[in-house]
Amino acid sequence: MNMSVYGMLLVSSLAIGSIYGLIALGYALIYKSSGLLSFTQGDILTLGAYLGLTFYSILKIPFVISLILTMACAFALGILLEKGVIRKLLNKNVGAIYVVLATIAISYIIQNGSQLVWGTIQLNFPSVFSVSNVNIFGVNVRPEALMCFIVSIALMIVLHFFMTKTRFGTSMRAASMDSMAAESLGIDVSLTTGVSWGLSAGLAAIAGMLIGPIYGVYSTLGSTIGRKGFSGAVIGGYGNMYGAMVGGLILGIVETFSASLISSTYRNLIAYALLLIFMFIKPTGLFNERAIQD
Amino acid sequence: MAPLLELKDFHYYYGNIHSVKGINLYVNEGEMVTLIGANGAGKTTTMQTISGLTSPKGIRGEIWFDGKKISGMKGHKISAMGLAHVLEGRHVFSKLTVEENLNMGAFMRKDSKNIKSDMDGVYKRFPRLLERKTQLAGTLSGGEQQMLAIGRALMARPKMILLDEPSLGLSPLITKEVFAAIREINREDGITIFFVEQNSKIALKTAHRGYVMQTGEMVIEDTCENLMSNADVQKAYLGGE
Repeated sequence: MNMSVYGMLLVSSLAIGSIYGLIALGYALIYKSSGLLSFTQGDILTLGAYLGLTFYSILKIPFVISLILTMACAFALGILLEKGVIRKLLNKNVGAIYVVLATIAISYIIQNGSQLVWGTIQLNFPSVFSVSNVNIFGVNVRPEALMCFIVSIALMIVLHFFMTKTRFGTSMRAASMDSMAAESLGIDVSLTTGVSWGLSAGLAAIAGMLIGPIYGVYSTLGSTIGRKGFSGAVIGGYGNMYGAMVGGLILGIVETFSASLISSTYRNLIAYALLLIFMFIKPTGLFNERAIQD
Repeated sequence: MAPLLELKDFHYYYGNIHSVKGINLYVNEGEMVTLIGANGAGKTTTMQTISGLTSPKGIRGEIWFDGKKISGMKGHKISAMGLAHVLEGRHVFSKLTVEENLNMGAFMRKDSKNIKSDMDGVYKRFPRLLERKTQLAGTLSGGEQQMLAIGRALMARPKMILLDEPSLGLSPLITKEVFAAIREINREDGITIFFVEQNSKIALKTAHRGYVMQTGEMVIEDTCENLMSNADVQKAYLGGE
């Protein structure tokens, strides 16, 4: 194999890795704000891909605006999910596992519901750019793959500044560290929690719209990606925002290269073996987040 | 004039457990009042319910603050009315810096100009916090965390501060320092203070009036001077004869 093949592999692994990273970021936000695991991330990605396709391809709305609309719809859905289902269940004093099971139920409802609306046939997400290849350092790259990586990184940087430099973002972190103290200082913890779920859904939906042009859009698009995003989150350190991103990227790189160098048959096996290895050897992940161990 | 804080026949239930059994208490503006009693007397439940931090389902009776009935209101709304709460066990945001913690105290305020000068005021009162302003709060000593928790409450410019066990886990020397600061806050800043304290001696020396609670009931209320010479109080809480 020559260098340009490695270059192509690297770009496609960074593209899918950054999608895992966005999903993992959502898991981290939800875990930090509610102490829960939500299995809806993957199917919200699917929904985001369908919504994006509808806005962009059917309604002919420009891509960037479609992206913002998709994010806004998913944001609202995320808040609705937290306020309408999760919060209601928690108020009944049920165990956390029931809430997690409820998120599985919701994920299937979203998956099946989108089949109802958009059908069972895989839809083609039209290309976003007029060229099919760009040449970077002698490597031919699909511009959509490049966009995937660049937009994801940009989102993470924006989220980083939002969470650390703005008063509301800091209050979200404060509420996740100590909800009682936050409430006593006038922080509306119910609001910060809702916004965390909204952001998680928004990130997943954007991920769907970014991966749509590369993978096509179908109702189980997000199922595997959702699980891989979970692996990415564990590898990075479950609940850590930066770990989520790095974990996602590492998973993308490992699975893409091993699929190509060993055999694509074992792509998933390698990804989940990596998850198990981390669970046994370094449960706090690369960023040493204590969530799972404690 | 009506008291700033008033509890009228206040009960609290955790499910079937009747943990506070109909207490009455009031705190006038400018006063410093303490609530003492053994563990499990219902002091913390009372404090946290005043601040809206317990489930409103368990409340019977009424709590009034600043002319408004607050029982059943959400915590962040009560806090916005000018009632700050320094929680038992300090509850600083361990992975935020000292400065970020103080900023969170001013979360509701819109007057960003004055926030900076108030922060300088907190640093002047607790110079150790200034030395550690970029440090994560989780790395501070217990005494420093207590100072930070008090400073954070001050950042809200409250009318009244509730303090729950400010001496918990602190050395006698640091306890003295913390109580000196509490006295100053009451006297110089004119902030009304209501605190729970297991160190009854220092509590009665600090406050103007005191309440004694026992297994959910209010057993005695009087000025601290009288409480200190009360034989029952001496026997039960001051280790006297």
